[in-house]
Amino acid sequence: MSDPLRDDERELVERAKRDPRQFGALYDRHFQQIYRFVYSRVREQTAAEDVTSEIFMKALKAMPRYQDTGRPFAAWLYQISVNAIADRYRTLRPSSPLDDFHDLSIAEPPLEEQAAHRDEIRRIWALVEALPVQQKTALVLKFQEDMKIEDIAIAMGKTPGAVKLLIHRGVSRLREEADSLRPAE
Amino acid sequence: MSMQHDPDLDDVLQDQELRHVADLLREARMTEAPLDDAFRSALRRQLMNQAWGMGGGGTPWWRKMFGPTGMVWATAAVGVILIGVVVVLTATNQPGPSDQVVVTSPISNQSAVRLQQPIQVTFNQPMNHPSTEAAVQITPATTVAFSWHENTLSVTPTAGDLAPNTQYQVTIGPGARTASGQSLTAPKTITFVTQPPAAPSPSPSPSARPTPVTALAGQHLLASIPEGITNVLWSPDSSTVYFVTGKGALESVPFAGGSPTVIAPDGVTSVAINPAGDQLAYIRKANIEILAIAPGTTTEVVPTPAPVLVGWTTGGVEWVSADGVYTAAPGGQGKVAPLPATGTVTAISFAPDGVHIAYTQDQSLNVMDLGTGKSTVLGLPGAHFLGWSPDGTGIMYSGAQAVVLADLGGRNTTPLPAGEPSWSSQDEVLLGSDVNLFVMRSDASGQTKLADGTFHLPDWAPNGIAFTYFRGGELFAASAPAPAPPATAPLDAATSVVNAFMKARKDNPDRANAYLDDNGRKAYSSAIGGLNLQVTGDPSFSRYYLLTAQVTGSHPDTAQFVVRIVLAHNNLDVKTFEETLTLVRTQGSQQFLVDQAAAGSVLTLGSTAEVVSVDVTTTSVKVTFDSDLKPETVTAGVIILDSKGKQIGNAPSYAKRTVTIDGLDLKSGKSFKLVVLSTVQDVSGNNIAAEYDLTFEGPAGKSGDRHKDTSPSPSPQPSPSATPSS
Repeated sequence: MSDPLRDDERELVERAKRDPRQFGALYDRHFQQIYRFVYSRVREQTAAEDVTSEIFMKALKAMPRYQDTGRPFAAWLYQISVNAIADRYRTLRPSSPLDDFHDLSIAEPPLEEQAAHRDEIRRIWALVEALPVQQKTALVLKFQEDMKIEDIAIAMGKTPGAVKLLIHRGVSRLREEADSLRPAE
Repeated sequence: MSMQHDPDLDDVLQDQELRHVADLLREARMTEAPLDDAFRSALRRQLMNQAWGMGGGGTPWWRKMFGPTGMVWATAAVGVILIGVVVVLTATNQPGPSDQVVVTSPISNQSAVRLQQPIQVTFNQPMNHPSTEAAVQITPATTVAFSWHENTLSVTPTAGDLAPNTQYQVTIGPGARTASGQSLTAPKTITFVTQPPAAPSPSPSPSARPTPVTALAGQHLLASIPEGITNVLWSPDSSTVYFVTGKGALESVPFAGGSPTVIAPDGVTSVAINPAGDQLAYIRKANIEILAIAPGTTTEVVPTPAPVLVGWTTGGVEWVSADGVYTAAPGGQGKVAPLPATGTVTAISFAPDGVHIAYTQDQSLNVMDLGTGKSTVLGLPGAHFLGWSPDGTGIMYSGAQAVVLADLGGRNTTPLPAGEPSWSSQDEVLLGSDVNLFVMRSDASGQTKLADGTFHLPDWAPNGIAFTYFRGGELFAASAPAPAPPATAPLDAATSVVNAFMKARKDNPDRANAYLDDNGRKAYSSAIGGLNLQVTGDPSFSRYYLLTAQVTGSHPDTAQFVVRIVLAHNNLDVKTFEETLTLVRTQGSQQFLVDQAAAGSVLTLGSTAEVVSVDVTTTSVKVTFDSDLKPETVTAGVIILDSKGKQIGNAPSYAKRTVTIDGLDLKSGKSFKLVVLSTVQDVSGNNIAAEYDLTFEGPAGKSGDRHKDTSPSPSPQPSPSATPSS
């Protein structure tokens, strides 16, 4: 069945491929998403701006070669983003504390439960940062960016099966690590 | 807490504990990342600028950034550029601004840049030479050599001159490092536009006038007044000179010579003549007197506050008082626009169009649009007003080292050598001084010495032939030689009209009608589906240049031009279209007027080589490109066909961006076609965007007579040139 949003995006992409000046509409549509993702990885505003600029510049230049694989255009942007961030990571490490970025506020449960839960989430995400790069990337794209496996596969240049394996290994490792770190009750 | 079910993970996380971890991961929602909206907007602008440079497709632009190694750096990335500009601006928020590398060039944003000069790029600190040279990218594709003097890098095209009529973009990429190893925070781009080819040119070139010249005719003393003379003013018919003496007497003298006639005996401080030439207005003893010249009757206006400067607008007399600009109105006076209320404000001159004034506010020179009340600062602090163009669309002021010609927005500046200038209706500028008198086109081309000797404050007559000047405090008059030798006079006269017409269309479309005859008005009548006299929209009318200039008939004199109109977005050339104009000399006034006009389609300017000039003689055709070409692609890529489609002429030769085909016998009145195939490549290996076809006639005149004749257009559309075959 035809998806109007996808059709709309496909049209925008085709236009931008034919005429790069139409790229503005794609930029408007995806800037926030990509910038936020980049910021979550580099955690420093100037660095996030640099990397975001690089990503969209690369995307604009590469538009004529973009091939529609039937997946969202964003998957391709994430692919460029993952590579750009990887380049950045070679020289730059995130500097801000994790909870500067991940909102740990939990509604409803009693305060003490909330505090414990927040602590658990914080520990989990701290552990994510310590995972091997590929596992970390897969988890971030899956759980933070809420992407589909197939789209993560495009972004990471892997097969969906490989992505599933990375997620499984990553989550398993987190569970093990979390167990070892969990304070005695 | 809610647990999300993600079918994507059903077969990945089957263990309950793993799903719990996944839920925890999912629950930590991202906070909003700190975002500077200015960054978002700036990045969008960069992208769009880059996209404009990429055009509508074709060879990936970025490939052109990396041409052959060594000295060759070719790029086609128009947009890379403004990235630099914008990023440099945004980088000011970053730490260490004092260490920032600042890149400047004396020709940045200049138009009509001389062809015979290197591109000079100056850094504010010592640079690492190899990395800086490697970071230089030039559009259009140009092979260059580098040399350094202290912190200035000279980039010299190995072809010698710069290409004519071309917008260059020179980018210093972020790979450039300082001597201490610091990289540029962002690319920096210098953009400029070159002047038309020097020769052969339809406009007077240095060879058009002998040098040195004693060609001034009829030098004679007009007035010798012991107290001195100020406020020299020509009558619109160029027959009479008005002036004010040191005692404040307003007098007139015929250009031909004779005794001065006293019009007002004293107290005159400012004088202006109306466009019809039948009324003089002058300030005398704090009032304005209006003299109807023929009957000799005078009426008086009594402004409050007292006037300091008088002028004429289409509605009548106007004047400047201490607090603003006024005009006569029923029952008294009406304020047209206020003057600034701060600083020391001095009104200097009304423009010939009557709707602008020049004034100074403290150290700054300003032009005010009386229609909107808005002012524009011109030049640097301390700039002096030096005069207007006769149509009021241009202004002259003193620059750092020279005279600067600009439009009233302060843009499109053209530097001229130092001197005392006067701008003629023929678009020529006289430059007087203590020691000589020069004349040149307003684009600084064709600089020619007219005479040695003292020529102070030259002032062209409206006819563009006669002029006054001061020598030893006395007022003299003379006639300059005609703008061109007799053989090319019709072409020059018509060229002047085309230039005036195009300038008016760009700056003041209402005035463009004056250059159209009845047929021409129909051609530009929107009511009957004609062409647009006013070119509006975005991209906007940025500049124009003449591709063809050819006399095509006599009795009456007829000339044909192809004008290329360049449209720009954010100061970058992005589109172009051509108009073919046919001008006919009218029998009465002997003035050329536009009689016919036809427009070609709008083309997107690619980042590949463009034809910028074609010179046709009876024996050869020279095609000049804006880019350096691969010579081996030229042989089979540039051909001349006769009217039967048969290839003629010798094999093309290539040197310095110009392809020459000789061994031709181009007979007058016969039709020929120049074809530039898309197999022609620039030095970066990029094919030209589309085939160019140019249909032209064999030039009139003796063998070897040169005509500038170029009208490239993409095949298969015929060029808009009005050749019979098309």
